[in-house]
Amino acid sequence: MVTFSLRVPKQGNTVRECEDASRVLTDGPVCVAVADGASESLLAGEWADLLARTLTEAARDDDCVLRDVDSFASALVRAGEAWSGWLADYVATREADGRPIAWYEQPKLDRGPHAAVVAARFDTDPSGVTQWDVAALGDSCLFHTRGGRLLHAFPIESAEAFHNSPGLVNAFDRDHALLARHVRTLSGTAEPGDRFFLGTDALAAWFLRAADRGDRPWDVLADFTRSSDGFTEWVARARAEGLMRNDDVTVVLVDLG
Amino acid sequence: MTYAAEISRANPSCFVFLVDQSASMTDPIGGGRQRKADVVADAINRLLAELSVKCAKEEGVRDYFHVAVIGYGHAVGSAFTGPLAGRDLVPLSQVADRPARVEKRTKKVPDGAGGLVETTTRFPVWVDPVAHGPTPMCRALESAEALVTDWVARHPDSFPPIVLNLTDGDSTDGDPAGAAWAVQTHVTADGAALLFNLHVSATNAVPVTFPDTDVALPDAYARTLFGMSSLLPPHMRFYALQQGVPAGDLARGFVYNADITSLVQFLDIGTRATDLR
Repeated sequence: MVTFSLRVPKQGNTVRECEDASRVLTDGPVCVAVADGASESLLAGEWADLLARTLTEAARDDDCVLRDVDSFASALVRAGEAWSGWLADYVATREADGRPIAWYEQPKLDRGPHAAVVAARFDTDPSGVTQWDVAALGDSCLFHTRGGRLLHAFPIESAEAFHNSPGLVNAFDRDHALLARHVRTLSGTAEPGDRFFLGTDALAAWFLRAADRGDRPWDVLADFTRSSDGFTEWVARARAEGLMRNDDVTVVLVDLG
Repeated sequence: MTYAAEISRANPSCFVFLVDQSASMTDPIGGGRQRKADVVADAINRLLAELSVKCAKEEGVRDYFHVAVIGYGHAVGSAFTGPLAGRDLVPLSQVADRPARVEKRTKKVPDGAGGLVETTTRFPVWVDPVAHGPTPMCRALESAEALVTDWVARHPDSFPPIVLNLTDGDSTDGDPAGAAWAVQTHVTADGAALLFNLHVSATNAVPVTFPDTDVALPDAYARTLFGMSSLLPPHMRFYALQQGVPAGDLARGFVYNADITSLVQFLDIGTRATDLR
């Protein structure tokens, strides 16, 4: 099994300003998470990174986390609890650096950052069959392809379903039942040669539009796994041609090989 | 598709606020004790604060907008006090970093147990209440038009400029309808400049938000300002409806004796930080 990650910031932003995050764990079943911090939030990239880290570790340690909406909601709450500690350190560091929180930052810090997230786990048995589980809250997506076919698009199946107010996980949300109500899960089995793509919304919308046209967007992305050279330029062209919305772009490919 | 341009640091938009500072602004607002001048200064300061917070990131406030505040009364000119005094269009990051002062104000917030608890918030001030002289609204609109003209020439692809006029409506230098129309004739590739009006009135009439007709408006000043106001673009109507404010297909950017700070929430600068429901 091979994994490969690609990331490009929104045009006009620096790499440091990119608010997408991804994590891949390979010490055991392969666990992948992609998270997309909301542009209106403060520290959205840091929250996305903490979510991706917490969820990949949770999925590695417990195979139920991505199968059961309540378990996934519990993992989201744990990430939020970790955020409170992280934020206290951040505020203390800003004070120590002589750059205390400004009046215009405080309302957003009080409200907490928001992010969409998708996480998946791939567990291959000795016969070569891979059991996969995925859970998501929001509009970051997973696509499962085999040969020339798109087998699964999750949790969004149509490019028209994307908009700028998706479901998001807020770092201070401790309402377990509310979170669980918005979590979607899916499980299945995969064969050698199958490929999975986990991506944030702008790329996911492009992917679905291209698939609807009869194109094979999975081949376009897979080509960049041989060499990521040119991915940034390719994204820039897709944006300039109106094929992809100008937003941070992150995609992780899991190739079962 | 119009009013859909991305608002970014590379492609910013602009806000021009016009503030009525005439002598009649000493009168209290209808149904209340607050002077109209205080209501308008508060509204401007809250709008600037909301806009700054909306565009705040951890490295500071991003220049998604450039902002001018033009006062009209005894004179027509910049209404900023403090370090920005005398300036017209100012990048939003400078607005956020240079208020005249930051006051501490108390407000009541839910305590999570069904009650209210008093808390202190920081309230930046850029504009002080002023009430002196006549109401040269036509000249103020001409000043706005000059800024808008220059802006669209320099930013032809930007989200169109928004001019927001806060007034009690009694223009003393002629019918403002022509000057208001002139503002809205300036266009970018994304649409025509928008002119919205907040009418603060001493008349104790029912507050009105984004009406689609002037039938229920209480006086000629309100009807004139309604007639001067642009139609709300579709995405703004959508966000108004999301916030529970009825806004029909013909809703105009006009508010009578009501809050207009929600306008800031109608602006798109990326994925909205929306809580789950």
